[in-house]
Amino acid sequence: MSERRTQAGRRLLAVFAHPDDETFICGGTLAKYASEGVDITLVSATRGEMGRRMGNPPYLNRETIAAAREQELRQACERLGIRQLRFLGIRDKTVEFIDGEKLTATVEALIRDLDPDVVLTFHEKLGGHPDHCAIGRATTAAYRRAGRKGSLYFISFGSEMERPERYGYTRNDIVRIDVSAHLEAKLAAFRAHRCQTEIDEWVWRPDREALSRFGKHEYFIRADAAAGSGRNSRDLF
Amino acid sequence: MMNIDRTSVEAELRKFVGADIYVHSEATSFVFVRNFKVRATDARIAGEGPYRVALRFDGHGWLRMEALTHYEADEAGRLLLAGYDDRGRMHVALHLGKEPFPE
Repeated sequence: MSERRTQAGRRLLAVFAHPDDETFICGGTLAKYASEGVDITLVSATRGEMGRRMGNPPYLNRETIAAAREQELRQACERLGIRQLRFLGIRDKTVEFIDGEKLTATVEALIRDLDPDVVLTFHEKLGGHPDHCAIGRATTAAYRRAGRKGSLYFISFGSEMERPERYGYTRNDIVRIDVSAHLEAKLAAFRAHRCQTEIDEWVWRPDREALSRFGKHEYFIRADAAAGSGRNSRDLF
Repeated sequence: MMNIDRTSVEAELRKFVGADIYVHSEATSFVFVRNFKVRATDARIAGEGPYRVALRFDGHGWLRMEALTHYEADEAGRLLLAGYDDRGRMHVALHLGKEPFPE
């Protein structure tokens, strides 16, 4: 699909579960593509309103956290260069319990409407949290139903996909994005998610020290194994 | 949220006694219940901090929570009680309101 559009007209849709997923997991990649002019839409299924972290020292409670996290996500999007943000209005921790058909239909409509060149979501088994797996499952089904192929990727944590064999994948299935030039934006987005990151002292150390905690690469799993052959393993588009 | 002052919380709890109330209750890593509706017949606080709070309701029920450290009586007339650890993580919450909490 990348041939269809000029470099500047490319679109990326990311469908995640909570505010901060975009930053903590793949903030460098989103900042990189945004800086290249890719039009990024981020969908967050929930507002992260059932989180434990309430700031440190705490200044939020269960009733005020939703608005705070929404605001933090808007600021993180600005810092990463994400232009569109949508919420699906599902309560945090309940994504796996809502009607999967309806959720899939909602995401399918988004895919058809936005016509993205690349779609990112969670792997339905390796997502690491029930909400992650549920939104990943729905988005994967929606992507197939929309008749798409070859441009769906699952995000992965840290450098776990440096050795994909451990998860039943091969190197052909993995795209490794060099984010070393975009770590400042990633750090700025981490700091935008203040109530979630205040507990992590390293985030608030002087920039150089904080930046040294980030890996230089972020890793993505191709949803369609066949799409790997002959494709660039350093680029999602 | 402020550190719990027992006398103030006692006074706030009394406002819900004899009323139909909506309750949000959670032990954060394990369970939450949002908007169960009961008629409170007693509402008490105990302890020297962290605190314990219990409700008796409908002539046959109890809700008891512990490890509460902070509270706020918000402008919507709701009483929000929560327990935080020393790094700002919330472990328990007990919210009382006379209207349903947003779902």
